[in-house]
Amino acid sequence: MAAEATLIPRKTSGLKRLFERFPFLPALVILVVLFALNGFYQPRSIGLVGITGLLKTYMPLMLLAVAQTYVVYAGDIDLSVGAIVSLVNVTIIVLMQQWGGEALPVLGAMAVGIGVGLACGIINGIVVAAFRLQAIVATFATSIFFTGLALYVLPVAGAPAPAAFWRTYGGRFAEIPFVFYVVVVLAVLLYLLARTRLATQLLAVGDDAQGAFQSGLPVTAIRMKGYALCGLFAALAAFCVTGDTASGDPLVGGKMTLSAVAAVVLGGSALSGGFGTVVGSVIGALIIGLISSLVYFMGTPSEWQNLVQGLAILLALMAGILVGRRARA
Amino acid sequence: MRKLTALALSTVAAIAVTAFSASAADFKIGLSNGWVGSEWRTQMIEEAQAAAAAWKEKGHNVEVVVQSANVDVPGQIAHVRNFINEGVDAIIINPNSPTAFDPVFAQAKEAGILVISTDAEVSSPDAIYVGIDQKAWGAAGAKWLAETLEGKGNVVAINGVAGHPANEMRVAGYREVFAEYPEIKVVNEVNANWDQAQGQQAMQNLLATYPDINGVWVQDGMAAGAWKSIMDAGKTGDIAATGEIRKDFIDLWVSDKLNSGASVNPPGVMASALNVAVLMLDGRELKEPATAGQYGNAMYLPIPFIDSSNLEEAAKAVEGKPGYYSYTSQLSIEDAEALFK
Repeated sequence: MAAEATLIPRKTSGLKRLFERFPFLPALVILVVLFALNGFYQPRSIGLVGITGLLKTYMPLMLLAVAQTYVVYAGDIDLSVGAIVSLVNVTIIVLMQQWGGEALPVLGAMAVGIGVGLACGIINGIVVAAFRLQAIVATFATSIFFTGLALYVLPVAGAPAPAAFWRTYGGRFAEIPFVFYVVVVLAVLLYLLARTRLATQLLAVGDDAQGAFQSGLPVTAIRMKGYALCGLFAALAAFCVTGDTASGDPLVGGKMTLSAVAAVVLGGSALSGGFGTVVGSVIGALIIGLISSLVYFMGTPSEWQNLVQGLAILLALMAGILVGRRARA
Repeated sequence: MRKLTALALSTVAAIAVTAFSASAADFKIGLSNGWVGSEWRTQMIEEAQAAAAAWKEKGHNVEVVVQSANVDVPGQIAHVRNFINEGVDAIIINPNSPTAFDPVFAQAKEAGILVISTDAEVSSPDAIYVGIDQKAWGAAGAKWLAETLEGKGNVVAINGVAGHPANEMRVAGYREVFAEYPEIKVVNEVNANWDQAQGQQAMQNLLATYPDINGVWVQDGMAAGAWKSIMDAGKTGDIAATGEIRKDFIDLWVSDKLNSGASVNPPGVMASALNVAVLMLDGRELKEPATAGQYGNAMYLPIPFIDSSNLEEAAKAVEGKPGYYSYTSQLSIEDAEALFK
């Protein structure tokens, strides 16, 4: 993309440059439209309480979409992110139960949770990048393995989280809901990560793995780091799931995997790798959330809700891709 | 242009919705279903909608709003938040997780909303459960099987999804019963994920491994699959196995004289919960507060059982319905009223 732009600079219109710099713009437009429609049908859904609820509910998906984005950058995919969420969720719940619900043990359990997420990511990285198995199949297999581990740690859903943990996530600091602080921290984190060499390297590998290898980049190590980063963000997503659900459930994350992939694509990233933004994925996750509530607020009969929701996501995908393509062409 | 049409369409929908809600409903009840994988769930919602309409004769306008789609746990939490935003009077939910709704149900209660879960129990102290006891459901099938086998024989079990609370409770139910019969041996237990094809496959494998099986304890739609394998193997007369409640299976049961018995988890549970909800919204109090179950918030409904003694009645009850229609039962308004002071 960038190379093209420098080759033919004269054709570069202002709009095109804007899209190149912010590939998530179509998604952002869709998000604003959805937001307005939600507000039109149910004004309370875009009040402070409504937005806080939206963020609390979809923060896990946002983080998981971000996690997925880093592997998608490199042209890989991770179908085990949902299983990692489940595994981290039950791990920290069981640890917090055993160690007690005070601040220190809770932080300790979270540290272990981060470690578990990282470890899962590294396992995926080894299987995909070092053993060279197809990412889509290999991570599907590891997802079954991680789910099995989660079932071993906590066989049935049920253990409650310490009140301090979920009260914090659902509560307020200085009159501002906690989840807004999470948003700020996430924004800073994503900004910093986007400026690291790793983000660029992942994109380079995704754009042209052969070329990246020939120019001396350690492709295998870079892809593994992408998976590790993915595991890390999946662990953060698990913290938010735990905060919003206040309990351990060995099957909680399973269905989130494909939503996360959809969010990445909705956000304008290319599944073939080499092009995309994490901000787009965050927006994509919110689009998925807003579509499902809009389908309801519009009064869609229950037997059509799945269909309309699927169509709406498809439309959003098409709109994003068409607009993006025209703007870049 | 497309956007314009969409906008126009949605505006029409909006007007229709406002026109509908303008008819001053006494109570607005939100129904949430997080999984659309079977006809049972569709029937559950349709029966609940019919039950709401039936309240009109009693002078109540009960409006139901439904959210039903395949969602993950956060997606179903969003269902509940949407209901809270909309300001419903009560929420009836078939939950995707037993524990994950504690915080959001607490918020619903703060907003003055009555929360009832059905089909699967929830741990929240801010909700009650109206539905069957899954453990007793599992036990009833096991008891029938043990008695049919006259207390001795080799038995296999085909279970649903490992780690799923309803599955674990059902398993606990049959294990407890079989433990009372020392001469009944459970030779193997497998998971077939509540999938008919997997149930059939699992039964085939079990028949190949253990040629001397006498009884099969199997749940829901998997029973139709398991029975298909039993019939294919020509063992229809030699094996007793639990059955299920869809019309297709009941027809087969009658025509092939299967040695079967089926615990009924009726899709009418949500309708029963709705009738209880309306009475509670009316300010009525339960004679016996809902304190049963592992979470101390359950009100258990009776579990019908189909075996050779009442098979004909069951077959008559589903006559003329489509093949996927489940045998059902529900608390009528009168039945529900009898539970209240």
